[in-house]
Amino acid sequence: MRHNAAVSANSMIELSDVSKTFRGTDSPAVQSLSLSVEVGETVVLVGPSGCGKTTTLKMINRLIEPTSGSIVIDGTSVTDLPAHELRRGIGYVIQQIGLFPHRTIRRNIATVPGLLGWEKGRVARRIDELAELVDINPDMLDRYPSELSGGERQRIGVARALAADPPVLLMDEPFGAVDPIVRARLQEGLLSLQERLQKTIVLVTHDIDEAILLGDRVAILNVGGHLEQYDTPAEILRSPASPFVADFLGSDRGIKRLSLIPIRDIELEHGPVVRPDADAEEIERVMAATGVDWIAVGSDGQLDGWTPGADVRSAGGLAGVALRPFETTLDISDSLKEALDAVVSSHTSVAAVFEDGRYLGMLSIDTISEEIVQ
Amino acid sequence: MNNADAIWDRTLEHVYLTALAVGIGLVISLVLSVIALKWRPTYQPITWVTGILYTIPSLALFAFLVPVTGLSVLTAEIGLVSYTLLILIRNIVTGIDAVPVDVLESAAGMGYTQGRRFWDIELPIAVPVIITGIRIATVTVIGLVTVTSLIGLGGLGFFILRGLQNFSSPIGTTQIFIGTILSVVLAVAADVSLAGIERWLTPWANRGAAE
Repeated sequence: MRHNAAVSANSMIELSDVSKTFRGTDSPAVQSLSLSVEVGETVVLVGPSGCGKTTTLKMINRLIEPTSGSIVIDGTSVTDLPAHELRRGIGYVIQQIGLFPHRTIRRNIATVPGLLGWEKGRVARRIDELAELVDINPDMLDRYPSELSGGERQRIGVARALAADPPVLLMDEPFGAVDPIVRARLQEGLLSLQERLQKTIVLVTHDIDEAILLGDRVAILNVGGHLEQYDTPAEILRSPASPFVADFLGSDRGIKRLSLIPIRDIELEHGPVVRPDADAEEIERVMAATGVDWIAVGSDGQLDGWTPGADVRSAGGLAGVALRPFETTLDISDSLKEALDAVVSSHTSVAAVFEDGRYLGMLSIDTISEEIVQ
Repeated sequence: MNNADAIWDRTLEHVYLTALAVGIGLVISLVLSVIALKWRPTYQPITWVTGILYTIPSLALFAFLVPVTGLSVLTAEIGLVSYTLLILIRNIVTGIDAVPVDVLESAAGMGYTQGRRFWDIELPIAVPVIITGIRIATVTVIGLVTVTSLIGLGGLGFFILRGLQNFSSPIGTTQIFIGTILSVVLAVAADVSLAGIERWLTPWANRGAAE
């Protein structure tokens, strides 16, 4: 029975009052959870250990059967078909991936199409498509999983889950088992994949930063599967629904919000920039107007460097003064969080922003904090 | 020369008795292993019974069977098969148990039924461990076949027995030599062949890791 009256027509996955109590335990792992996932959106389930996020995920493809409640995917209840048939229509990726060691990568990827009885030509074409989509070197296809690195295996795992082109993808801590550098690349990879494919994804993670990065909406779960807040990352960060959520987000909530704002979206300052032919007077004027004691030199979209006011004064101008390069530069596609890091670590307390090598403007700490206070 | 024929015949007998025992033992063990894997509580009793069979001295076992089944291949085979069971069942169950949990989970999550998963995924991955069991069982049986010389068979053990009976004469020593050395050669050949089969069946087990 539906308790969730406001079911949108775009709902792809619908959990209604879903509960799970494991045999031999008193308290439920998940209690009366109702949640709706729209077509093409990425929903991240996040929460502390024991909050039931993995249990919830596994109830969607019936690896765990709910004690009560209903789960509907694309209008059909998950119990309407045999579990194994249901799962052949849902992509599933787990943390350790679980590639079959006794099969080549090619055969691993072709698993679900094989179970569905696709004919060989179709499978071969699909594998070529996937290799291009997930950026797999064709040489890798005839190797065995033991010959691949962790990051490569992860990408194969995703390709394998997408092989039969399921509309829904379930991912359980998919990037937890690799190092931070590879993880960042895999997260980027998932985001660009989603841009192309628009799958409906439910992803479980314990990492709030990953949730904020990957989720169109984030569901914050508390122990026992209690849904504390279910909203876009920006909204949750702006206004946490409870002390638990605020706590879970961490004390650097403001800074996390910055990671959601691209530099592209805000107005840059021109900064204290003069042309190389400027005289000492003009330099003093510009520095005073900007309220700093250093000057940047450049022209026509190029920044040559900067120098402290003291050096200009003692030299009587720019002639013969050695310009220092800007240590950290930002690209316009970076977020305000990266900008803050650059600003805080620079001598000049500003960060220079470029697009394809062309100088666009500067960011100071004041401009950045204005974005949060709004 | 009659001797070459005799040696060849006895070698064939040896191979036949061994192959039959290991073959039948494997089928019985597979059935019992599937039962043990599906109903875990049965594993202990199964191991217990096959373990007892294993500890019965071969000579005693054949002696017990002769009044019932006579001096026949059947007697020999009942004995020989019972010795393979413990090793094969232990290795099959251990091999299947050793399949990584994440492989089992991802297989289930992708839509494998339990039965198909067992044949397509678990059994092939367990092959190296299972073949190790087959190797041990085969080499053991090759040794035990020589004991069946005491009930009229023996394969190459026939020569060893004869040699012992003719111990005082030079032909006795030759017979013991031939019987012993050829038995060992047979065991080594079987072991090496099975190892080769294992390598052929599992091209994936020998590849190095990229990390």
